[in-house]
Amino acid sequence: MKSLRCSLAALTLAGATHSALAADTLDIVVPFAAGGATDIVARSFEPVFSQHMGVTSVVRNVASASATVGTAEVAGSEGNPNIIEYAPAGSLSIQPSLKELSYGPDSFTYICRTVSNPMFLMVSKSSDIESFQQLVEQSQEYPFLYGSSGPGTLPHLAMAALVVNSDLKAEHVPYSGSGPAMNALAGNEIQIMADTETILENYDLRPLAVFAEQRVKGYENVPAIDELGLPALDFAVWQGVVAPKGISEERAAQYADACKATVESERFRTFAEKAKAGIAYLGPNDFEAFVKRRFEANKQVLQDAGLTQ
Amino acid sequence: MDVILAAAGDAFTWQALLAIVIGTWAGIVIGGLPGLGSVVGLTIFLPFTFGLDVITSMALLIGVYCGSVYGGSITAILINTPGTPQSAATTFDGYPMTQQGRVDEALGWATFASFFGGVLSCVLLIFCAPQLAKFAVNFGSIEVFALVCLAMLCIVGISRGSLLKGLLCGMMGFFFSMVGSDPITGADRFTFGTQALSSGLDLIPVVVGAFALSEIFVRFSARDEEATVIPEARLRFPPLGEIGRRLIELMRGSFIGSFVGALPGTGAAAAAFISYATAQKLSPRRAQLGKGEPDGIIASESSNNAVTGSAFIPTLALGIPGDVVTAMMMGAMVIHGITPGVRLMADQAQTVYALFVVLIIVNVVMLILSKPSIGLFRYLFKLPLGFVMAGIVMFSFIGAASVRGNPLDLVVAALTGILAYALRRGGYPLAPLVIGMVLGPALESSLRRGLLISRGDFLSFFTHSGIATTLFVLIGLFLVWTLWSSFMQWRAKLARRRQTSTRVIE
Repeated sequence: MKSLRCSLAALTLAGATHSALAADTLDIVVPFAAGGATDIVARSFEPVFSQHMGVTSVVRNVASASATVGTAEVAGSEGNPNIIEYAPAGSLSIQPSLKELSYGPDSFTYICRTVSNPMFLMVSKSSDIESFQQLVEQSQEYPFLYGSSGPGTLPHLAMAALVVNSDLKAEHVPYSGSGPAMNALAGNEIQIMADTETILENYDLRPLAVFAEQRVKGYENVPAIDELGLPALDFAVWQGVVAPKGISEERAAQYADACKATVESERFRTFAEKAKAGIAYLGPNDFEAFVKRRFEANKQVLQDAGLTQ
Repeated sequence: MDVILAAAGDAFTWQALLAIVIGTWAGIVIGGLPGLGSVVGLTIFLPFTFGLDVITSMALLIGVYCGSVYGGSITAILINTPGTPQSAATTFDGYPMTQQGRVDEALGWATFASFFGGVLSCVLLIFCAPQLAKFAVNFGSIEVFALVCLAMLCIVGISRGSLLKGLLCGMMGFFFSMVGSDPITGADRFTFGTQALSSGLDLIPVVVGAFALSEIFVRFSARDEEATVIPEARLRFPPLGEIGRRLIELMRGSFIGSFVGALPGTGAAAAAFISYATAQKLSPRRAQLGKGEPDGIIASESSNNAVTGSAFIPTLALGIPGDVVTAMMMGAMVIHGITPGVRLMADQAQTVYALFVVLIIVNVVMLILSKPSIGLFRYLFKLPLGFVMAGIVMFSFIGAASVRGNPLDLVVAALTGILAYALRRGGYPLAPLVIGMVLGPALESSLRRGLLISRGDFLSFFTHSGIATTLFVLIGLFLVWTLWSSFMQWRAKLARRRQTSTRVIE
């Protein structure tokens, strides 16, 4: 019995050491399963980042469908200087408006944005549709179906926004990831999909437009959405680093410097090029403003598309 | 030909061979430990691959993957606890054989069937990948719905004794799979307003609870009985004549596994259940299934290992990962600068062929390592029963916690264990619960997606395509067959009773 009491006491102590002191180890939460698109980038980011921080870091995958569980854990660790999240766009800028969550855009100390890839509007190469105009015309008789990697994901939102803002008639069919959606597109179960350059290059797809404010390098003949006579729609898949609220200013500055150095490092750049992740660094203040702007814009889309009240 | 030789050269480097041996060995052990399965194994080894070259890292991961799918069968046979969900169907006949003292034979069949399925699917992958991938693309949501319905029917077959109890457990598993986010609207359901439940119940904690923990409770509640002694694990390969006699079973299981593996979003556990259900209808020894018949082990093990090869078909031919495991391998490829996609076969032929060679070597190595691995488990299980059980509990919880890093999964595993113990004491079969849990998400999302595609018209499912119609007709035939045979049984029983009663009157 005594040994039990001792070990309980030791456990409580171990629990209590999780204080405001910066330790030698850093917990990097990735809210997706190991091997996923976000995880790969995070795992290439981690070694350089921890070197610059002078700590040993551990990537911890806290997987859940829409990445909210891992994000909520970081938001809930207020004041803990030894935990950060490598966060995807969805859990920061979409999920809080879609679900009742324990966090919102104000629950974090923003460190940096690392990468960002604009999304393209795509159809299968085997279809005869060559332009957005044609797509709209053909959809009038019989509405098209567009796929997404799940409800409330960026591919879903981008298409929902497009349908609301144009004459395109299309309905949503969610899949459990980009892969199954691509399978459905190949089998003509769905006809349209919005996703990033990686998807566009890996499959037989034809881009019709890009969800960005101007044309994208490498795809100069793909028009931006606002050139099609529509309001500008800006949708990109981005990732960034956030820490919990309540950490000291020096710690936040230390994180920010390490992040900047990592993104500029040769090693991370080479990787990003291979994985087709477009490096798009934003510092703490710009990143915070960016997330809040995206949060409001996405909220509006969700409302317009009737996905929330 | 030059490409193939060059690829073989890539695969036969000492680094790659070492990676294969280490990966396969580790995979078998990880797969054999309840709770630790393919995904956990790959998560452990993924970080190591960052420093290796492409072929070596793929060799390591493929070894872990194939080894773990095979390893699950060892504990399924020895202690009625599948090491991975993929081997759940192996317990149906594997454990009865153990109870009859035929451990060596059961392990021999499991090993040989795994090898056979693995190699056959490699051959299919090498020669028919583009064709199979093209065919798999025709499997849209409606076709998958029909296929899953067909697989669900195997609940009928394995709930011997009481169909009602089997169906109840199946419904329970199906319900467990519905907790969490709605696949179509994304809204939370059955979460009681808690964020922890919003990611749903994972398969691994439920399987760990239902099989491993409940088995331990059962053994402890009956610890003085003869049945709780774990028999000494030995391996005896089936003689050639026997293999020839059951060749059809091996082929059928391997083809079903290869085919199901090529469909995105199904996986090895579903393949094993589908294959077992087919064996129940087509095996010449079907009357013995479930009572310790090698055909049952063959159906399960040949199909789940066939998935390991064919899961690469959509990944390599289309860049579409078939399940979580291949998604992780695709991730590893991307890290090394290979982006799987429609052009992979053309652009990176040498790498792709090297992967084929690696897959075949892995299966051969698996066959060679099976004996020492089973020997290892023999030593482990020679320890006092209490230690073995404690070890299983520990690994079960480690496995449950490490899949998603969600502490709730530990609670889920413990509660499922208690529930499963109660169910077993009440004579409820647990396999339907796992089948419901495995097939539930596929059934629900394919049905609802199908309804979106057909604009809410369910009747058009039956005429959607040739494949769908064929599958629905098969389901109809199966139902008619089952009803008809139970009707005939009932009549025979009635006639017998009438005979005896008239005899009494006379």
